[in-house]
Amino acid sequence: MTMEFEELKKIWDSQYGKPLYALDEKALHNRIVSKRKSAYHITNKSELLSILVNLGAGSFVLAINLLDQSRNVFMYLMSGWMLCTGLYVWVSRLRRKKGDLQFDRSLQGDLHYAISMATYQVRFSQLMRWNFLPIGALIVLALWVGNKPIWIGVLMLIFLGLTYYASGWEHRIYTSRKQELELLKDKLETEEK
Amino acid sequence: MTEKEQQHVFQEWLSLHKGLVFKIVRSYSREAMDQDDLFQEIIIQVWHSIPSFRNESSVTTWLYRISLNTAIKWTRKEQKHNRTEALEEGHQLLHESESSIDERLVWLYEEIYKLDEIDRSLAILLLEGFSYKEMANLLGITESNVGVKITRIKKQLITKSKK
Repeated sequence: MTMEFEELKKIWDSQYGKPLYALDEKALHNRIVSKRKSAYHITNKSELLSILVNLGAGSFVLAINLLDQSRNVFMYLMSGWMLCTGLYVWVSRLRRKKGDLQFDRSLQGDLHYAISMATYQVRFSQLMRWNFLPIGALIVLALWVGNKPIWIGVLMLIFLGLTYYASGWEHRIYTSRKQELELLKDKLETEEK
Repeated sequence: MTEKEQQHVFQEWLSLHKGLVFKIVRSYSREAMDQDDLFQEIIIQVWHSIPSFRNESSVTTWLYRISLNTAIKWTRKEQKHNRTEALEEGHQLLHESESSIDERLVWLYEEIYKLDEIDRSLAILLLEGFSYKEMANLLGITESNVGVKITRIKKQLITKSKK
């Protein structure tokens, strides 16, 4: 016995008005917690690395300048900028950690926590990306004032350009992760209605 | 369009038309993990598509266009790569409802799944009552090509329905 196409259509239409799928809240919660943990670890490491690199490099440049009794003002500005960046990241980290305590361990709480973490990651990566611009400008100016060969400045700019490009790629990953979480939140809110 | 407006439109579309997305998800993926992945992929694309929606077509047609194109691309990508991320994330998000387990419907989805990715789209659109012209427009193929493929799909489904 074969079915006519109209019968196939009737079978297909029988789905109307019936919920095809149900959302498993426990699985959703687990997924959110896993995303939150992953974002937490990445943010934690990025912050620590940034603090270490900026404070370390800033102190190093300052020490070299002081030892050489350099008169290159841009080198001092650069070390000052790096030290300030390191301190800024440190303060932001303390504020973030303080803010983390406000979220409860419910599904909604964890979701908001994950979104807040993702928002922080996006802002942080954007700030670190923009930070290449003043650093790059100060390096070039310091080289120029220090009468260094042009090719060193060009190489430096190429290196900074590549780093800026790579950080844009990283930033887009964070932005897309944040969007995924926001969509998950919307999906959840739609399910609840 | 502000992000808040986009969010509002997204929630409205999702609450009114999520059945449409589920049908496509079910037609293009068998495993629960794949269904989760494809569902997520489709809603992300739907979200991104909101600012480009110009009311030149109905919301349903727009959503079919976005969802089917995403499902086709996803299928091609899946054939090339093996995913690991979703498997690491543990249990699936979507569970098939008891009410949707109708043997004949399961059979129909199974047969649609056996078609290639373009034919799957055509089968869904045909069963949803779209005209050849609309199907051609949605999938970017000629109307005559749609006609040829539809005749073959219908024949195949009817033949397979032999018990």
